[in-house]
Amino acid sequence: MTAQQRLASDFEIAQMESQLARAHDFEAQLSGRLNLGDLRAARNEPALARAEYTRALTLAEHERLEARRESRLTRYANATSYAALAAAKLGRGTEAFALLEEAARYASDDPETWNLYASAMRILGHPPKAVAAARNAVAAAVKPLDLAIYRHALATALIEAGHAGEAERLLVAVTEALRSEEFATLRREAARQESFEIYDSARGDMAAYVSLLNRAQLRLASVYEKQGNLEDARRQYQRVLEGRTDDVTALAALARLARNEEERQQHYAEAFDANPFSMQLIREYRRTDVAQDVQGEGTGAQMRLALAQLQRGDRRAARATLDALLTKFPSNETLRSLRREAETATSVELPALHPTAIELRTLADGFEQLTAGQRATLDQTSYRSEVLFAGAPGNTFSSGTIDGIPFRFSEPTIFNGTFGVHARLTYRILGVAEGGALLLEPLGLEALP
Amino acid sequence: MKRLLAVLLFAGPAFAQVLVSTDRGVVVARDGRIELAGRWSVEGVPHPTAMVANDERVCVLDALDDLAVIVTLDRGQTTRIRTASTPIAAAFLGSELYLLARDGRLLQHESGAIAIPLSADPAFLAAWNGRLYVYARAAGVIEESDGERITRRMNVAPFASDFEIAGGVAYLAYPREARLRTVNLTSMKTNGELGVGAVPVDLAFAGGGTALTARVLAVADPAAKRVWLAEGTQSTAEAVARGFLRGLLGLGLFTPRDSQFPTGVDRVETRGSIWVAYDSSSRTLYRFTRKGSVVLARNVPPHGFALTPRGVAWWDGTSVAETTLR
Repeated sequence: MTAQQRLASDFEIAQMESQLARAHDFEAQLSGRLNLGDLRAARNEPALARAEYTRALTLAEHERLEARRESRLTRYANATSYAALAAAKLGRGTEAFALLEEAARYASDDPETWNLYASAMRILGHPPKAVAAARNAVAAAVKPLDLAIYRHALATALIEAGHAGEAERLLVAVTEALRSEEFATLRREAARQESFEIYDSARGDMAAYVSLLNRAQLRLASVYEKQGNLEDARRQYQRVLEGRTDDVTALAALARLARNEEERQQHYAEAFDANPFSMQLIREYRRTDVAQDVQGEGTGAQMRLALAQLQRGDRRAARATLDALLTKFPSNETLRSLRREAETATSVELPALHPTAIELRTLADGFEQLTAGQRATLDQTSYRSEVLFAGAPGNTFSSGTIDGIPFRFSEPTIFNGTFGVHARLTYRILGVAEGGALLLEPLGLEALP
Repeated sequence: MKRLLAVLLFAGPAFAQVLVSTDRGVVVARDGRIELAGRWSVEGVPHPTAMVANDERVCVLDALDDLAVIVTLDRGQTTRIRTASTPIAAAFLGSELYLLARDGRLLQHESGAIAIPLSADPAFLAAWNGRLYVYARAAGVIEESDGERITRRMNVAPFASDFEIAGGVAYLAYPREARLRTVNLTSMKTNGELGVGAVPVDLAFAGGGTALTARVLAVADPAAKRVWLAEGTQSTAEAVARGFLRGLLGLGLFTPRDSQFPTGVDRVETRGSIWVAYDSSSRTLYRFTRKGSVVLARNVPPHGFALTPRGVAWWDGTSVAETTLR
């Protein structure tokens, strides 16, 4: 590894910037902005990501008006769907919903309209609505590649809605289809052009094929991993790496599933080289024995060095390492967060077994500062609290609050029995999710009198 | 661009404004509140998406958060309901309120005691003659309910953009086909169909429908940038005798090149002689007659206007504005 080493997403960012400079039609500009936003978000550069999504929304709104002036209603419906997607990525739920409904008035027979509807609903955190929309898309699909895309979208929404069984069947069907003779031409074309870029708004069949195969295999692998089917999970993650050797999700997963420490550290090193700024990767990595002997000058190696320095309490050295990285990546929130951590000298106490709101808030705020020993203790400790679930009474819950402190599960959980939204939860604390909510592993639930 | 794979990011609050006219005044849902000016202001929903009222109660729907809040008009007493997924519409059957949960595919009674399964994509709800009618858009099915079960069901063309009932006839608009279809709800049989304009999206009833006059439909066509006025069925018997629509009355209000609706209008609403049209793309509200149109307001939210007994009310960005049109 060298100091000039590129991050995995550097190539996609360069490609999108080139596309924006070269092609000026609506779809090229819109997909460029959306993809740049996604790539920036994956690197934890939220301000840059929001700027791109805002540009995408402006483009789509302009296109809507132009299409209406020219009485081109199919184009209008398409632009309206993309305006909704951009609004959803900006967290503007009401606006996104109104736009999606508007698009559906004109194009309820168009599967792509429903696919975009499903995507926006997932982004806004409404998996059951995403499932309903994705089913409409699947039902109306005509072309095999479209069907595979919509099935993948449906499977993704189903996983988030807590229906992993149906999702697994869909993902197996999708991945087998993509590897079948039916898609041999696209596969050969992708190989001939050495196409490996992964985009969320892919233009053209080949780009869509490459991205879809990557995402579908990752999702299927994740389903297997959660089931404890580790061999099949490893096989799927390896298949992802056959298509793209620097896929950070697959590398991090293989590190998680490694059979020995050497293999684990090797995969983590490769994952950090691919995306040094993934907070999920950093959280996972810090739950392990962070390697103290870090070699290399690349960004990934420097990030692992900073984490090792923080782990052993050498904050001065960590600040120097992080400051050097911040000069190269000044907009990066991951670096800023770690830099703040390196500034503070306070230690974090683990909560009591029946934690108070203050204890949980302190833990959430200082989770990154826990020592390896504290993390090991936390992993093995069961806590009990009265919780207030979001949603309706029933047997399936995914999030809620403990004394006002938000929490969520990694996926919706089905409990035995029927419970009110106010109940007593036994749980383990896994970490801190996006948005600052505590990520909990439910162990049991009791009704309250 | 026809390929898209999804990612998960973040969500945050935003507000909409929804209005409905009642016997006691205009009720507005906004900023998490529901208000009847000068009477009461109560806690509402985060994302109001629709509102219905009868002479005693108003119901505000939040299709994004699966919530409904029912408020008594006289005292502002509220009942909050957690609905099945995506309550897209509601209707009163007598004094009983029913909620249409599109993604949950259920017709729910307000008490929660009744939940009637429906066909795929039930997107529209209307009441007539003591029955509820649901149009399932993707399935292409009209389902009739007595409020406890599905009593009758019939197949129609899928993917309509509007479904309205008047005089025992259901009218459906099909924008892709440039066509209206009608269904006789007494016999549950298709009446007929007629090509209308380029992209007929929304329709309303603009008078007629008496023993002597045929019902007049106002049809919003954003591609033609016109509101078409078309003569609908007068009665079931006459509909059979005359065929469905006798034809368009004139050629529509305006020509595309010189339209007074520059980006077209896609919604029409009527109340007696008051006719308004709305353009979702430019958020402009118009009043129209057989002779012409005037802009009433700009930057009006999609559900932020309502016809009142005397005119039209709309959300002007800070408060409810109202103008008399009679």
